[in-house]
Amino acid sequence: MRDGIAIARSGLPAVAFVTSAYWPQGNFVAKAEGMPDVPRVQLPHPVAGIGRMAMADLADNICALVLERLSDG
Amino acid sequence: MSTFLSAAGEVDALEILHAARCTDGLPVVIPTPERVSRMVLASGLDGDVVLGELGPQWGSATVENVAVAAVMAGCLPDYIPVVVAAIRAICQPEFDLAEMQGTTHCIAPLMIVNGPARSACGDIASGFGAMGPGHRANASIGRALRLAMINIGGARPGESDMSLHGHPGKFTFCIAEDEEHSPFPPLHTSLGYAMEQSVVTLLGTEAPHSVLFTGDADDPDSADRLLNTVAAVIANPGSNNSHLGGIAAICVVFNPDHADVLGRAGYTREKIQHILSERAVTPRTQLAALNPLMLVGEEELIPAVRDPSKILLLTAGGAGLYTMVMPSWCAGPHGNVAVHEEIELDQYCEVPTRAI
Repeated sequence: MRDGIAIARSGLPAVAFVTSAYWPQGNFVAKAEGMPDVPRVQLPHPVAGIGRMAMADLADNICALVLERLSDG
Repeated sequence: MSTFLSAAGEVDALEILHAARCTDGLPVVIPTPERVSRMVLASGLDGDVVLGELGPQWGSATVENVAVAAVMAGCLPDYIPVVVAAIRAICQPEFDLAEMQGTTHCIAPLMIVNGPARSACGDIASGFGAMGPGHRANASIGRALRLAMINIGGARPGESDMSLHGHPGKFTFCIAEDEEHSPFPPLHTSLGYAMEQSVVTLLGTEAPHSVLFTGDADDPDSADRLLNTVAAVIANPGSNNSHLGGIAAICVVFNPDHADVLGRAGYTREKIQHILSERAVTPRTQLAALNPLMLVGEEELIPAVRDPSKILLLTAGGAGLYTMVMPSWCAGPHGNVAVHEEIELDQYCEVPTRAI
């Protein structure tokens, strides 16, 4: 989330990926950093170590959502 | 100014504070206005002086807010100069407090006190069990820092403090250096301070990892073997320090007997730092076999601590067979470095220590 906020602050379009286990923390950080509405997409947990095929499937599944967040506002 | 809560009595007040997640889970001293005022008075500073902001919530660490934490932790007014200095230290950007509070790693700020404050601010233990229970100043000073990190910094487990397992040192983690039994100049003098200054040094570390070593006065290589043993523990191949490029600082706490072995052999702090940095390495092949997705760089021997000056060496603990290594997180924008701050004893205002 911090990376997403830092990139957004630099003026670049950004979408933070946050897994379900860390979604509350992501919300906390976004609010604390003064960007409660910073674009983010929730991923299932875990993502790390799920393997190439599962990672590719995940990317396919969230691609449209990422584009949608980038288009918001 | 602080927000005031009302309660029928201290028992009810404690339950309110627990329910609001303002405690560390243990009972606290209720921070009544009178107690907080006395603590502020002892600091010698105005209550609205801002010492810094604590992430991840970026709450304002005013002297009054810090005094609240100190009262809750059970500090005597004598201890407040150390707490104030520690707060100033962790507010330094290099400490990466917001990231440290939020990481999944098990890391807590280890406080090391040097100089006259060791006795002027209570009796901060440096001997047997200094990192454990039974030492009021150590316990309450470290706890005050944690309560400030919770209530001003907003770190709460599972919400903003995402440490997977937590860390016992997140209750309290404060020691003094045993300068009197160390063959080396005190830690703070190696950081540029004068001997007569009082300093608190903080480094986010894991819990202590034990190093077992028996010295042998008949063995001319005894000191060298001791350093090999310490290096082996530093280069734990499962650690962040080994896997993440060795960019962080770590802490090594020699017990007085082990420090004496090194001192008698003529080792200086700088020489020990260089030896440990050189020897605390892990073959790339070993790390690749354990954790291939975490490999960094191209080196054949990967150091756990790349920069010798980032090894904090001090003497503390009881005399005996064990030295302690505190590995670190090895992450964050500044790579998990140590910070330090002078403890300003001349600001302190003596107030009666009778409990109210």
